[in-house]
Amino acid sequence: MTDIKIEMKNIGKVFETDDVETHALKNVDIVIRAGEYVSIAGPSGCGKSTLLSLLGLLDMPSSGSYIIEGHDVSSLSLDEAARIRNEKIGFVFQSFNLIDELSVFDNIALPLQYKKELPTDEFIKARVEACLKMVEMSHRADHKPNQLSGGQQQRIAIARALVADPAILLVDEPTGNLDSKSGDTVMAVLAELNKNGTTICMVTHDARYANMANIQLKLLDGQIVKDEPLKVAV
Amino acid sequence: MRTFIRQHKQAWASLKKKPGFVLTVLMTMGITLGALLCAVTLNYLLLVEPLPYPEQERLFVAEHKLIGAKNETKAVAFTYPGLVHLYKSKEAFEQAAMLSYGGDVIISHSSQPLINAAYVTPEFHQILASPLALGRLFEASEAIDTYNPVAMLSYNTWQNEFDGSADILEQKITLSGISYRIIGVLSKDFIEPELGEIGQKTNVWMPWDYNQAGERQRESFGNISGNLKFVGLLKKGVSPSQAKQLLTPLVSNRWVEGVADTDFFKGWSIEMRVRSVKEAILGQSESIAVMLLAGVIGLVLIACANISNLFMARTAEKQRQMAIQAAIGATKTHLFKAMLAETTLLMFMSIVLALVIAQTGFYIMQQYLGAVLPRINELSLNPITFGCAVLVTIAFALFFAKLSIRMINYRALNTTLQSSGKGSGLQVSKKTRQVLIASQVALATVLVFANFSLLKDAMKTINAPIGFATENISTLVLNFSSTDFPTQEESIPIMAEVMEKLEALPQVESISQGRSPIDGFSIRALTNVADNERYTPYLKGADHRYFNMIEQPLIQGDNFTLVDRKDENNVMIVNQAFAKQLKADGDVLGLQISMGGPDPFKIVGIVKDIAIPGDTPQDQNSDAVGTGVARVYVPNGLGGQSFMLKLKPGQTVSREQLGKLLAEVDSRYSVFSFNASSDILTQSLFSEITTAVTTAILASLVFLLAGIGLYGILSYGTQLRRFELGARMAIGATRKHLVFMIIADNTKAILAGFIGSIVLFSLAYIGLSEYIQPFLSWQMVPMIVVTLVLIILVTLFACYWPLRQYINQPAIFSLRGSD
Ligand SMILES: Nc1ncnc2c1ncn2[C@@H]1O[C@H](COP(=O)(O)OP(=O)(O)OP(=O)(O)O)[C@@H](O)[C@H]1O
Ligand SMILES: [Mg+2]
Repeated sequence: MTDIKIEMKNIGKVFETDDVETHALKNVDIVIRAGEYVSIAGPSGCGKSTLLSLLGLLDMPSSGSYIIEGHDVSSLSLDEAARIRNEKIGFVFQSFNLIDELSVFDNIALPLQYKKELPTDEFIKARVEACLKMVEMSHRADHKPNQLSGGQQQRIAIARALVADPAILLVDEPTGNLDSKSGDTVMAVLAELNKNGTTICMVTHDARYANMANIQLKLLDGQIVKDEPLKVAV
Repeated sequence: MRTFIRQHKQAWASLKKKPGFVLTVLMTMGITLGALLCAVTLNYLLLVEPLPYPEQERLFVAEHKLIGAKNETKAVAFTYPGLVHLYKSKEAFEQAAMLSYGGDVIISHSSQPLINAAYVTPEFHQILASPLALGRLFEASEAIDTYNPVAMLSYNTWQNEFDGSADILEQKITLSGISYRIIGVLSKDFIEPELGEIGQKTNVWMPWDYNQAGERQRESFGNISGNLKFVGLLKKGVSPSQAKQLLTPLVSNRWVEGVADTDFFKGWSIEMRVRSVKEAILGQSESIAVMLLAGVIGLVLIACANISNLFMARTAEKQRQMAIQAAIGATKTHLFKAMLAETTLLMFMSIVLALVIAQTGFYIMQQYLGAVLPRINELSLNPITFGCAVLVTIAFALFFAKLSIRMINYRALNTTLQSSGKGSGLQVSKKTRQVLIASQVALATVLVFANFSLLKDAMKTINAPIGFATENISTLVLNFSSTDFPTQEESIPIMAEVMEKLEALPQVESISQGRSPIDGFSIRALTNVADNERYTPYLKGADHRYFNMIEQPLIQGDNFTLVDRKDENNVMIVNQAFAKQLKADGDVLGLQISMGGPDPFKIVGIVKDIAIPGDTPQDQNSDAVGTGVARVYVPNGLGGQSFMLKLKPGQTVSREQLGKLLAEVDSRYSVFSFNASSDILTQSLFSEITTAVTTAILASLVFLLAGIGLYGILSYGTQLRRFELGARMAIGATRKHLVFMIIADNTKAILAGFIGSIVLFSLAYIGLSEYIQPFLSWQMVPMIVVTLVLIILVTLFACYWPLRQYINQPAIFSLRGSD
């Protein structure tokens, strides 16, 4: 059982705006094991982004329990959530969210700066370089993000998500802002990472990319309708 | 019109979502514009508004200027016969009046109140066209030398002292032994020209003949009095300088003739000064009013800069919304109009608040500054105030709307949408923001420090030990209400009996004949017999119980005795400061001091110095530097008509009670004044207290404005970094990390601000060193520390507060909209 990375049970999320209640997620159960590559697909507004933000502890569920690597994280304070995000979760956004003032190197090193115990400079350097290598961007360490193409920026974002050695990599529409060629490179990087053991959970519209995952979830109106391990059988 | 209403409705709806923003703008602009309206109205009233009298442009006062042998001005004051001569000459003025002021007690009244009296010739109220509530004004029947005992009351006196009684015109009023028939009551709307002093409020008007000048003064050309006034309507076509040319020889020749037999005045002459009544009333107040206006305009500018920041931040926030509007076809004019609707609404609300604050300001000024600024009772919200309010509203609404719209690069708005709102068209560069922060910090530091220094100085004076007791001590001054004054001999037994009766009162602990030090000293020229050195110390007559009662320690020698007073011994007690002036070692017992009479005074005792607020050393010679104020005391006579009463703790004695007691002894005596020393002390500290209050308010205001300003800039900056903050949170930054990051990012600007404040101070020092020098000392260090700590606290607050809405919510809140 130790290989279970993530376990969501009966998760619900309700948004209350003015007097309208939106049930964005209902009774969601998810288990993600080490080394799995999970994709989440579904029509617009079905709750994909909401689910991912719950998985990434960017938001708190309204009900249900959520366990990461054996730690119950269903109800955490803001700072506790930040800590867990820092240690266990790597996030890749559709719009990269790199910090323009920082160099590529510093962007990637950022999560390490927020660690409870600040690592040594040598460790940081080694770690950042290793991650840059994983996304094949070593030659651009000293550039600023806005000097890079969209695809390159997204690879840097992936490197940043990996640097703290998270339990899981959460990816939201990583190709949404990219042309298809850059999108392909990014997806290739993700596939390669997964092959080397990184656990990934990705939201995507693109059926082609969804198929690259070995578990494909379908969300409809906030509920999971399909949970089938595909490639495992192959 | 429909679009107009719709736009304002939309603006209102969008503002309602930002109560913090609205409140900040309202408070900042409301308070500062309120102060501005106050200052503008005051300046208009004092500098522009005509006096409320007919033909006020021809109303002038004429004054005597005593010119010494070296052509220097000796004094500006009339002699009694000189004034009457001028009045009777009827030159240059079409109609003119004499007046003099005085205090008196209404003897015919059960409470025997002290009132302000004015003695005027009939022309006075005729020129002013004083409105009446009842009866008539003075006429020819009250002209000079008619001695017709009639009186006019002010409206308030009628209401307060006579309960507004309807048959007031059948009543009489007795003052100083003369019974006056009341012939008129002035209207509530009568505005008295403040010719005597600012805040002058005459209760009872009487014909000129009854003025308080003594027989000798009425004859003497050698005796001047600041209490004699001349006011009149200049003849048509005569300018003030022509009047001066005309009157000077007329008055001067008569005066020179009058003092011909006094050597002292050899070579002296008179020059007339003719000033408009308005100018005479305004006096020094013009500069106070203008400085107030300048200070308030400064405040408004700071506030305006701050609010500009807030509007920039708001525009940044609304950029995306406007981009969408632009995308669906809104032109630049549309956007401007929408923005204008919002700024108009805000400025309108601010100005309403400002009007309320101005009205409150008028009330406060009327309550507390009636003795500092003239014509304050005429202050009210008037067309000028409203005109200014409308102008200011329109100007600021346009300014803020223009500023906001100028920030937007209309053509770049569309790209805003495509690049999801981040980074595009950064309106105010980071550098500009840093400069704004630095200048804000610099300005606030300087202003807060300056105000603190003034405040501390004022507080020091207020809290300074005065060196004598005032607690439970009151001064009682008797009024003699008969026309035949008693001689010194006659009054001694009467005063002895009065004192005996006073001391027997159960509330009274002890009594002393003479007045409290706080009631004032006179200045006297003295000569040290030993070396003929001349001094001008403060002088006071004191009895043998004086020093004991006020607890002023005698450090050497002897106190006065009753015998000293009875025998009129030439003995003197000096204070330490004067002792030091006389002899460096201060050992002056036995020294002989001449007061000008045939026999010198012998110093028998030395008392400790006291400090009376406002008293400054008289002698400017080098020996006096560093010593306190020199004072000498001589024994007073036994017939004096003023006393210090020390009451038992918690006890009071009323004026009526004292009046009754006096009447029992001798019905010609009544209470003139009965005032607690501590009250007089507070009054003498009035300007310091005003300074303390004003500076404290200003410091708080500057502080508030600085806080708002910094908040504006920093919240704008934080707004722009919203997604960055979200990203940092997503990768695990805790709140502490982010707060420290924002603080660290602004540290440089804040430090630059502190350095800027030092530069500002240095500039001020170079320009105004003579004023600043006295403030420079190690005592400034705690002030500097306090100022810095306060500014740093405000800055930290301004760093944290805009941040809190992002970091105290789940990270998704900041990230939303970035995908
Ligand atoms: N903060 C919020 N307040 C109210 N409702 C919200 C909020 N966030 C999301 N929702 C609602 O929750 C539902 C799920 O939204 P979510 O963003 O997860 O959809 P999605 O699957 O990511 O859609 P898309 O593919 O278009 O990105 C939607 O109906 C949305 O309206
Ligand atoms: Mg989504």
